[in-house]
Amino acid sequence: MHPLDWAVMLATLLGIIAYGIWKTRSVKSVKSYLLGDKDLPWWTIGLSIMATQASAITFLSTPGQAYEDGMRFAQFYFGMPVAMVILCVVALPVYYRLNVYTAYEYLEGRFDLKTRTFTAVLFLISRGLAAGITIYAPAIILSSILGWSLVWTNLFIGVLVIIYTVAGGTKAVSVTQKQQMIVILSGMFIAAIILVNLLPEDVHFMDSVAIAGKLGKLNVVDFEFNLQNRYNFWSGMLGGVFLFLSYFGTDQSQVQRYLSGKSLSESRLGLLFNGIIKVPMQFLVLFVGILVFVFFQFTKPPIHFNTANLTQVEQSEYAEDLAQLEAAQTVIFDQKQEELRGLVQAIRVEDEGQIVAQQAAVQALIDQDHEVRDQVRELIKQTNPILETKDDDYVFITFVMNHLPIGLVGLLLAVIFSAAMSSTASELNALATTTTIDLYRRSMAKDRTDQHYLNASKFFTILWGGIALAFAMVANLFDNLIEAVNIIGSLFYGTILGIFVVAFFGKGSNGNNIFLAAIIAELSVITIYVGDEILEWYNLGYLWLNLIGCLIVVLISFILRYLWTGFRAQPA
Amino acid sequence: MTNDEHIEEYPPILKTWPRLYWTVLIIHALIITAFYLFTQYFS
Repeated sequence: MHPLDWAVMLATLLGIIAYGIWKTRSVKSVKSYLLGDKDLPWWTIGLSIMATQASAITFLSTPGQAYEDGMRFAQFYFGMPVAMVILCVVALPVYYRLNVYTAYEYLEGRFDLKTRTFTAVLFLISRGLAAGITIYAPAIILSSILGWSLVWTNLFIGVLVIIYTVAGGTKAVSVTQKQQMIVILSGMFIAAIILVNLLPEDVHFMDSVAIAGKLGKLNVVDFEFNLQNRYNFWSGMLGGVFLFLSYFGTDQSQVQRYLSGKSLSESRLGLLFNGIIKVPMQFLVLFVGILVFVFFQFTKPPIHFNTANLTQVEQSEYAEDLAQLEAAQTVIFDQKQEELRGLVQAIRVEDEGQIVAQQAAVQALIDQDHEVRDQVRELIKQTNPILETKDDDYVFITFVMNHLPIGLVGLLLAVIFSAAMSSTASELNALATTTTIDLYRRSMAKDRTDQHYLNASKFFTILWGGIALAFAMVANLFDNLIEAVNIIGSLFYGTILGIFVVAFFGKGSNGNNIFLAAIIAELSVITIYVGDEILEWYNLGYLWLNLIGCLIVVLISFILRYLWTGFRAQPA
Repeated sequence: MTNDEHIEEYPPILKTWPRLYWTVLIIHALIITAFYLFTQYFS
């Protein structure tokens, strides 16, 4: 990496962290440490909420997903604005009225201590695992591409986050996230502009969009109802609403962001701002992936995007086979250039017959290219069976490293590291808050001094940081990193949401009913997921687990309530 | 300001919260419609 890129990356990252620590140097009480001084305006809350959700995986994996699968992943976020409005109406007024530190505090007043503790523990399990992946996912990709040690890359991300999160608490997280989000959005916008400028001179921006459309990549909205299709309008609007209600309404890493708002209005506006901006932002990130796809139609891409895998094959007995496949790929690429120009010309003159013919010709060559790439994956497996052969997550970073000008490489790396740090910081902050407030202060060490709980909060931040780092060190690459985080969330969010739905709307339910219903729901969701993954029962999209978990809690608590009141009503 | 007073706050624009919520939902519907037209036009 060029020294200027190092300078840009380190100055951006360390500058933001130093600013965050300086701005929060006066944090001296546990309330200030865990809730900030409740003085944040809506735009800081909104950006902080966005930065918490947008991890580095978002900016590494999502463009790669668009490259392979088109833009349909955008539908995953369609339920978000609806969820934001529901939360503004139902949850925020309750949290503000009760003046709580965590969402789970509310459950004790509504039900009982065991329900509060159970829900807090579900959160700690799901978020604790996700925090490890949030560090590990970018670390493994960046270490592979940059040639850094995985351990040191994990430590670089993890230790920096722990330092400023421990130093300034929740306010340091929000203050740094605002700066980080500005860097992230600017960086992605600049990447999009550079991509358009890197296209061949005879291919204009609208040509590139038209090519992507003709090759089936601009599939943003699909109204066909299909439970087995992971991303369509219905899974986004139904499953997605439940996922986001749970994530934003009951996940402390998000609740803590808006509870530090100056007022209820500022918190509401922050959530609504997020609801409106998130879908277009995700569209932009996916569109960058589409531009990368078009760029690599005209500029020969590597035969496999994970160069560390290729290096192993090149040093093995299969080096000759790899060279032959690379030669085949070059022939296909050269043939494709002619067909692509034909397609561009046909689109410009709106010759439908020619468009269909050229489209078929280009698609046939892309299919041939995929076959060659599959053969390379086979070679990688034969060279070393434990290597992960999926390379979608390496597409965008490969483009950044090989095709962006000096200086911008450093900025884009700062984008990815900023995203990793911003989401990890929120997670550690929330894990520490929940452990301190819902478990330690409530059940283990009551009536201690404010200083004691402040120290405990800092200790738990370091502890969770250590656990997340340890998990990051031993985690293996999942099928797709961003999906892995969402799948883990979906296993627990439905149950947690169900508990909160009954808390908000189920007037007659008591603690015993909801506790039993939550345990049955969680076991059911895990059984359905495991059965689907191992026994391939139905191949259900994981977003539906949110809906299923929530419905089971609501239904069983309702039945138990009915049985209980019916039983009590029986004459002796 | 007491906690109950928070509930009485009004949004900075459109005067009432329901109006603001409907505006957000309508904008979202327009965004999805634009995406749908984008999908149809380019495919």
